Amino acid sequence: MEWAWLIPVFSFAAAPLIVVLGRVLPGSGSFLAILAIAAGFALFWWVFAGFLGAGAGTENCLVSAHTGTLTCHYQMAWFHAGLAGAAGSVALTWGIIVDPLTVAMLGLVTFVALMVQIYSLGYMRGDSRFGWYYAVHALFAAAMLTLVLADNFLLLYVAWELVGICSYLLIGFWHERPAAKEAAKKAFIVTRIGDVGMLIGILLIWREVGSFSMFDAFEAVSSGAMTEGVTTVAALLLFLGAMGKSAQFPFHVWLPDAMEGPTPVSALIHAATMVVAGVFLVARVYPIFSAYDGDALLVVAVIGLITALMASTIALVSVDLKRILAYSTISHLGLMMLSLGAFGYTAAIFHLLAHGFAKALLFLGAGSVMHGTDELDIRKMGGLRKVMPMTAFLFSLGALSLGGIPILSGFWSKDEILLAVNDHLNPAFIILALLTAFLSAMYMARAMFVTFFGNLRQEMEHAHESPASMIGPMALLGVLAAVFGFVGFNWPGSYQGIGSFLFFHEAEGFHFNWWLGILSMILAVGAFVLGYLIYIKDRVSLEGFRARIGGLIPVVENKYYFDEAYQWVVDRVVLVFANFIGLFDRIVINDLAVNGPANSVHRLGIAMRLHVTGHVYSYAMGMVLGTIALSIFWWFRSVS
Amino acid sequence: MPGLTANLQLLTPEFALAGLALLVLAVDLVVPQNRKNLLGWLSIAGLLGLIALSLKMLWGENETLYGGLLAVDAFSLFFKIFFLGLGIFIILSSMDYVEKNLTSRGEFYGLILFSILGMNVMAQSRELLTAYISLELLSFCLYVLAAYARNEAKSNEAGLKYIIIGAFSSAVLLYGVSMVYSTLGVTQFASISAALANPGDVSPALWVGMALILVGLGFKLAAVPFHMWAPDVYEGAPFPVTAYLAIGSKAAAFALVLRLFAEGFLPAVDQWRIVVAVMAAITMLTGNLVALAQHNIKRLMAYSSVGQVGIILTGVAALSADSILPASGVMLYLVGYSLTNMLVFAGLISFFNMTGREDISAFRGLADGQPFLAATIAIGLFSLGGMPIFAGFTVKFYLFTALASQGLLWLAGLAIFSSLISLYYYLQVIRQMYIRPVEEVAEAIAGEDVYVPTGPEVSTSPLILIVQSVTLVGVFWVGVYPAPFLTVIDAASHAILPGL
Repeated sequence: MEWAWLIPVFSFAAAPLIVVLGRVLPGSGSFLAILAIAAGFALFWWVFAGFLGAGAGTENCLVSAHTGTLTCHYQMAWFHAGLAGAAGSVALTWGIIVDPLTVAMLGLVTFVALMVQIYSLGYMRGDSRFGWYYAVHALFAAAMLTLVLADNFLLLYVAWELVGICSYLLIGFWHERPAAKEAAKKAFIVTRIGDVGMLIGILLIWREVGSFSMFDAFEAVSSGAMTEGVTTVAALLLFLGAMGKSAQFPFHVWLPDAMEGPTPVSALIHAATMVVAGVFLVARVYPIFSAYDGDALLVVAVIGLITALMASTIALVSVDLKRILAYSTISHLGLMMLSLGAFGYTAAIFHLLAHGFAKALLFLGAGSVMHGTDELDIRKMGGLRKVMPMTAFLFSLGALSLGGIPILSGFWSKDEILLAVNDHLNPAFIILALLTAFLSAMYMARAMFVTFFGNLRQEMEHAHESPASMIGPMALLGVLAAVFGFVGFNWPGSYQGIGSFLFFHEAEGFHFNWWLGILSMILAVGAFVLGYLIYIKDRVSLEGFRARIGGLIPVVENKYYFDEAYQWVVDRVVLVFANFIGLFDRIVINDLAVNGPANSVHRLGIAMRLHVTGHVYSYAMGMVLGTIALSIFWWFRSVS
Repeated sequence: MPGLTANLQLLTPEFALAGLALLVLAVDLVVPQNRKNLLGWLSIAGLLGLIALSLKMLWGENETLYGGLLAVDAFSLFFKIFFLGLGIFIILSSMDYVEKNLTSRGEFYGLILFSILGMNVMAQSRELLTAYISLELLSFCLYVLAAYARNEAKSNEAGLKYIIIGAFSSAVLLYGVSMVYSTLGVTQFASISAALANPGDVSPALWVGMALILVGLGFKLAAVPFHMWAPDVYEGAPFPVTAYLAIGSKAAAFALVLRLFAEGFLPAVDQWRIVVAVMAAITMLTGNLVALAQHNIKRLMAYSSVGQVGIILTGVAALSADSILPASGVMLYLVGYSLTNMLVFAGLISFFNMTGREDISAFRGLADGQPFLAATIAIGLFSLGGMPIFAGFTVKFYLFTALASQGLLWLAGLAIFSSLISLYYYLQVIRQMYIRPVEEVAEAIAGEDVYVPTGPEVSTSPLILIVQSVTLVGVFWVGVYPAPFLTVIDAASHAILPGL
């Protein structure tokens, strides 16, 4: 277990090797990245086995008083802020935590990254920057793995930003396309806005605790050294970062645009890295969120619910297959946040894992469709199962699982969330959560039926099935999307369900609420049947419904105008403000119009020379005014 | 006066540097016009020798010379090495530019050397007038350097503006010095500190004097509202001189500010903290906001450096008698900022040598023709924006930690926010480099994949490659493992904050 830190190191090492040696290696060095992540995956099993075998007596391990789970902690010195031992000095470490949350995330990230990288062998074949793709991919996985292992906020933040940089590079991978470049920038900037809050939160915790270690922070919270107000503020600031990364309302706008990246990248971003980082962060610092009756958790729950509901309505009207999946991800991330907000720690992580497998499968399926047809607009598709049977089968499996059809894994994990919401929150939440569950089954049904069922269109007859290197990883993910849910409940013997492994303070056995389970089952199955009737059989017409809510449809189709509103703010407020200050700054001359006064000197001769003198004069005037202001300010301070 | 001539050998590096500068000027007379690069190499060799000499002679020294005028301690040694090393980088990246664009090349190197001497003495001075004289030595060299492209109207104008505003600010500074002297009767930092032990007793005129000193130094730092000269001068000055202004003159001014505020004004910290903090806040917001609207890369870098200065100033505002974190934070930031800016400017100078252009739109598609050049500039800009694993992140984080330790969380928050704004315009440049030119996409589709700066005749020169490689390593090193730098820097902080 003490070697868990090697898991990201493999991939970190692979990235520069590929960049440097890629030109001389076969396959541009892609095998290095795959080997690295495969080694990480193998090591994960070793760590997992070691962790299951460890107990409170194992060296460096103890049952944490803050989470109630077995937590192993390893660290080595990094550098000191301030002289070692002196007052106000902080020792920073490269430290790792191995606890159930980390182990689960390690498994998810290494597995999905491995699958995606194998899949990319087929998908990205022939791309001119094949090696670069794998290098950044390896770095991306490594950063995410570091993030889940980090034991202090500084290391966590570094990994967090590295994930951001890598996503920037991958979303903008096809940088010939202006749209990809814009999307990459948008993703980067929007998530950074949340990070501003997060960094302030980290500094706030540091100020209160005097350390960046998470354990020290948890200790300070539970001992009361951090007061209720500070704790809540710190939790909310951290949550800002989580909202940015996990595309929660109102930061959700970057995720659908991130579709501009290669499809396997989307699979990775949506399933295992990047967006789940936010959910992971909240889970990781859950002792801070849940302290003092969890005031901050209510905010988490509300944001999660808004996000889930809003995104599922947009997903219902999108016509781009990848965008439907993107909004579905946002919606499910909202559900995970809602679950965390409802004290459903186990359910949230369980759903994170189940959703990760299913969503990776769905994206790889969408990539396979794109590979076969060069098309993503579902209105132009139909009946693809006739030409791409394996893709159709696996995609449908993923869709059914995520839609919540019983015995597939999505059903169990979603059910756990509903249960937590029902138990801990106001009844309004459960009603809206059930509505979201219905909508999410509905858009999944739509995506699945419209794309793969019905009559094959003429122009789609040339479509072909994808190579084995793409189908293989999808099949493995398909197995997990189908059966992963079974880890959720008690098996005969000693296994007590996932709640006995992943929990916060109290181990939970599997429980099932019959009326809730049956209700959600009816909703999910009903949605799929309804979808079948609408999109395949044409038995149910949407025209009447559309006519009745007519005015709302453009609003939803335009994604509630978030992009437009943000763009307006940037164009009309920020840039105008910047220009205004710029003008003010130059006082007389707008150098945007004339490129520096010197050119004008040339043209205008003496008249302009006077003007230039005036220019310098105005600068001096600015200085004089500044000096006077400063002196007066200072004087008043000293006198008062 | 005892000690007036004692230990004079500790100033050997300064004497040697002055000698080197004179030697370069003398050799210039006999070197033929087409071999002037020899002077550059002579200067570099001399600077390398001086680094070795200073390290050997001055390591571990802690002396005060001339009865308290000059300090030879870890702080001055740190900045001495800093400036000498910076001089090597600047000369390396100017040699091609100088040969291509400038006449009277020999004096160029001589002036750089003299200005380094000025900076060294600035970091050493422990007395207001000594500080003022060394500041003027630096400024005079910079005035000339800014106007060095004599045939270009822009450069002349830059020099003219710089000297007028500079003279004005010198006068303000000197007036401030005289007011401090008239109220306290001393000019040595240590005596000022002693006289300030009871801040309540001193006349308010002292605060005005301090304010005026701050204005004079604020001009050197290009802190708002004393920054207006910066964009014009940066734009007009020859490219390597712009780099030198952005890095060297700022670092030197900060060296002086650190020593003055830590050794001299620290007892009155409650009086000036809020003033400096507000100045820092206005500076970083103005610099970064106005940079959003720039279309010329030099002006962009000018406003970017104004923004960075604002962030560094926060560290000055956080200086305190009970922690070395803020002082160390400022110095670490200077190291990271200088390495990163050197990396960016080396790339920009190289680009300018290739194309002669400095508008941001000219960078369009650079990544296709010159992937390494584009990558180094992009890394540098990411670092300036404060992204992890690059120096920019670590130094910002360290500084913000220092701010939080002094309870200036609001200032840290503002600094983080302004870093976010800065990232936006850095990304604009990166985006340009990685976008293929629109009109050429059509040609690329037609099978003709062309871009302008490509081929061996416009490749980056080996001199600039050296600068890029060294600073690139430095940027990653500071970003990932700053501990060795911090050891040296903490020693320097202890030299100016002896109570800790």
